[in-house]
Amino acid sequence: MTLTATGFDYVRRLVHRESAIVLAPGKEYLVEARLLPIARQLGMADVGRLVDEVRARPSAESTRRIVEALTTNETSWFRDGDPFTALTSTVLPALLPARGAAERLQIWSAACSSGQEPYTIAMLLQDALPNAATRVAITATDISREMVARTRAGRFSQLEVNRGLPAPMLVRHLTRAGTEWEVAPALRRMVSASECNLAAPLPRMGPFDVVYLRNVLIYFDLPTKQAILRRVRALMRPDGWLFLGAAETTLGVDDSWERVVIGRSSAYRPLKGA
Amino acid sequence: MTETRIPRRRAGDRPPVITELLDEAVVQEIADQAWAALVGEEEVLVPLPGEVPADAVSSWVEVLGPWTGTVVLACGRRTAADLTRALLREHAPAELEDEDVADALGELANVVGGNVKAVLPGPSALGLPEAGTAPAPGAAADTCRVDLLWRGQPLTITVQGAALAPEHEN
Amino acid sequence: MRALVIDDSRAMRRIVSGTLEGLGYETRQAGHGQEALDVLHAGWVPELCSIDWNMPVMDGLQFVSAVRANPAWRAVTLMMVTSEGEQGQIVRALAAGAHEYVIKPFTADAIRDKLALLGLLPQEAAL
Repeated sequence: MTLTATGFDYVRRLVHRESAIVLAPGKEYLVEARLLPIARQLGMADVGRLVDEVRARPSAESTRRIVEALTTNETSWFRDGDPFTALTSTVLPALLPARGAAERLQIWSAACSSGQEPYTIAMLLQDALPNAATRVAITATDISREMVARTRAGRFSQLEVNRGLPAPMLVRHLTRAGTEWEVAPALRRMVSASECNLAAPLPRMGPFDVVYLRNVLIYFDLPTKQAILRRVRALMRPDGWLFLGAAETTLGVDDSWERVVIGRSSAYRPLKGA
Repeated sequence: MTETRIPRRRAGDRPPVITELLDEAVVQEIADQAWAALVGEEEVLVPLPGEVPADAVSSWVEVLGPWTGTVVLACGRRTAADLTRALLREHAPAELEDEDVADALGELANVVGGNVKAVLPGPSALGLPEAGTAPAPGAAADTCRVDLLWRGQPLTITVQGAALAPEHEN
Repeated sequence: MRALVIDDSRAMRRIVSGTLEGLGYETRQAGHGQEALDVLHAGWVPELCSIDWNMPVMDGLQFVSAVRANPAWRAVTLMMVTSEGEQGQIVRALAAGAHEYVIKPFTADAIRDKLALLGLLPQEAAL
């Protein structure tokens, strides 16, 4: 039995309630593909059975697993690389003179998934700053417990390191560990990972000099987008920089940001007095 | 996440046997990735034994290094043809020739074999893929074999030492 | 843009060529390094070569060295696409003059991501 319309609707409401992420009609195939491994692990033949079971006996654990399976997406390293080049070309030269020599730059990767983004940032900074380990702290957060654990481990499959990681950086910053590749300890020490639901009040963090909040807002409805941007802004330094995904903008969502064009990408900075 | 176990080599001049270097889980993980990437995103290999038909076809690559042996892929003729079509997708010719099947199966052995080689102690060299009647199996102690079902059809991947295989000619 | 796909497996040549054509490339194929050099010598000099490592007659590493030895081919971008996956092998290939390295197995997305890094995605496929 495949997923029924009622089953899909149940999953859609559940995911929206827990993560504020909107699963549009037509995403049935996505629900099927993402939930099938969970159904199989639980010894069920198909996703229809799984959803029936969870509806009959809801539990925090099954809810968490379903939400996690549907809110994580495949990431690659330098894909859409402009926000990363902007970090070394524009953001660092602006921030470094404005900060004391003993002050650490605080960078937040706000939806770190399996860790490609925070480690991409760590690699770039390691290559750009001689004393990166003492000058930079990268906070990596994700809604998924599994993704946070993966980020902490800093281990990536062969297929993952094939996705948009330049080969010279692969051999410089990762080493092979059996069938996987492991990020160098120096980079892992720059990154601390924790669970964080952007759609809920945020824990005390920061203040951040740079925030990467990429390909997150697209999943949320307008009021949630506005709430997230407000909360993120409250954790940023007044002269900080925010990077969104290529298809995202603050324009028409929250007018307390100034858009700065850097090469082919854009950054957003808190508007003074807004 | 699978931890890859690479046990320490024992003292002495005896070359290592494959069971000291990798286990079934590693071979399965390598095969899973090859299938997911090349055969299709939704394609899974179920670790269940099945009877590989008598008309089985094989492809293999040789690994030469601190451990020397072959990585052999074996399945029935129909499975081999289905795999070839899945691999080539829209680029598959209307009529598959034997050579297409041998080539596709050989390339899968090359991909699995290359990744097996990468987890073994090096430096090692990889031979060119071959297809036909597989080399004779070596000693059981120097063999690591996984039995899999792909679309319900049996398929085996065997990493086997060259110890008892015919002398390699070069 | 033009790409020369060099691999001894015809299945792999079709897969890589199909991916590149989908991104807007015009492709040609060669079964080993010498055949690929013949194509270049005949005047068909592409923007990109996709190069397998283990091949009969002339392997991918020898091909990379041969291309880098000829200043006339300086503009050709060399991308290894091979099942050789050890760190040391990647370092060797980069040292010989390869620009990028894709480990088999790979997905079409992996090829596209690498081309994006290399600035070699034809304009219409850039997004």
